[in-house]
Amino acid sequence: MSVEDRTDQENIELIRRMALKDAQALEAFYDRYNRLVFSLVLRIIRVREDAEDVVVDVFWQTWQQAARYDSSRGRPVAWLLTIARTRAIDGMRSSNRKASHASTSDQLEDHHLPAGQRGNPDPGILADTRQAVRDALTRLPDQQRIPLEMAYFDGMTHTEIAESLNQPLGTMKDRIRAGMSHLRKQLKAYI
Amino acid sequence: MKHLQLTEDLLERASIYAVSAMSEGERKDYARHLEEDDCTLCRTEVLELQAAMHALAFDIPQSSPSPAVKMRLMAQAEVSASMRGLQYRTPSRGFEWLAWLISAAATAALVGVLFLNSNLRNRVESLSARLAELETQLVGQRTTLAALTSPRFRVVNLAGLGTVPQAGARIFWNETERRWLCYVSELPPVSNDKTYQLWFVPQNGAAVSANVFNTNPDGSATFEIPVPADIGALKATAVTTEPAGGLPQPSGSFVLFGAL
Repeated sequence: MSVEDRTDQENIELIRRMALKDAQALEAFYDRYNRLVFSLVLRIIRVREDAEDVVVDVFWQTWQQAARYDSSRGRPVAWLLTIARTRAIDGMRSSNRKASHASTSDQLEDHHLPAGQRGNPDPGILADTRQAVRDALTRLPDQQRIPLEMAYFDGMTHTEIAESLNQPLGTMKDRIRAGMSHLRKQLKAYI
Repeated sequence: MKHLQLTEDLLERASIYAVSAMSEGERKDYARHLEEDDCTLCRTEVLELQAAMHALAFDIPQSSPSPAVKMRLMAQAEVSASMRGLQYRTPSRGFEWLAWLISAAATAALVGVLFLNSNLRNRVESLSARLAELETQLVGQRTTLAALTSPRFRVVNLAGLGTVPQAGARIFWNETERRWLCYVSELPPVSNDKTYQLWFVPQNGAAVSANVFNTNPDGSATFEIPVPADIGALKATAVTTEPAGGLPQPSGSFVLFGAL
């Protein structure tokens, strides 16, 4: 069993205990992933106080829906991040705080750095996973990475992205597909 | 319709759905295909792409939420867990009122926790403001301490005159940097149409205005002023009461005086 598989098994056990309303399991799950979730939510919401409210909602949702988690439909971290991203995008849209890419927020300075040169990672994420992610993103051309980031972090549709980057819709769809395909190929063993 | 083979078009749709870049109409159609058509091929593709997409989250500069976030979450979870325990108990007949009572108490506890969360946030904000205020005070006190302990500073005492004999002031004179750090005490504030005015009194020539100020309700005032380079040797300093805004030369009564 790989280290990733063992981590998955531990997470699945925590989720099982959360389904039984074991608060210690929720605490352990929170301790493992609060930085990863908070960083993603903050990247999307961009306002620290709002991001903290969303983090409570995200882990509260995992607590409430733990019994419905189905491991055949994805790894626990992917499940958690899907909840976090959906909540954050909803929060961003409802508060109409969709920020432009030219944001001056200090929290976003690193966003414009090339992939692979960013800040300190969450210690809860396995080192080889982090390295694999960085390698994959470093090799991802900007013309593929930027549309993916606009969709993932800003909740933009392919049409909005194409208009924003002044590119034909078909080209944009091709780039999204190529970028996703690259990431999946590079990271299949890790994520 | 279930697909038996992934075409280029299906791969593209799966990618765009996985990264949530479809329009609302497209998204609904595709979600229906995954669920109602039970298309295992497309669903597997989407799940793998969604997992890969989250790689973007792993590369964000990491930040930590405040400890209050965990406190809020765990308080909610503890209440939820305790309420769940209550739901599984079946009360014997005649004791339903007890179950209602316990349920009401648990609800009240939940409301209490939420109220506590709100208070906690207010408290954090209040403490942050207080911290900023204390930091400002600390900077001021460090400046004073530096003035008291530095051999570069010369200390000048001003005594109260006339109707304010209890008043006083102390000036820390940084001769190297040509600055005065002034502390006034027990000098009652003047009304809005008046001001206190501090004067440089040179050995030769007329007095030169150094500063206009008023004191706090407790009679104190603190300020720092530059000493003009061209003023020459000083023989004294004094404070007078003048009309609001001050005057080029002293005209009112002297309230503080110190020889240099």
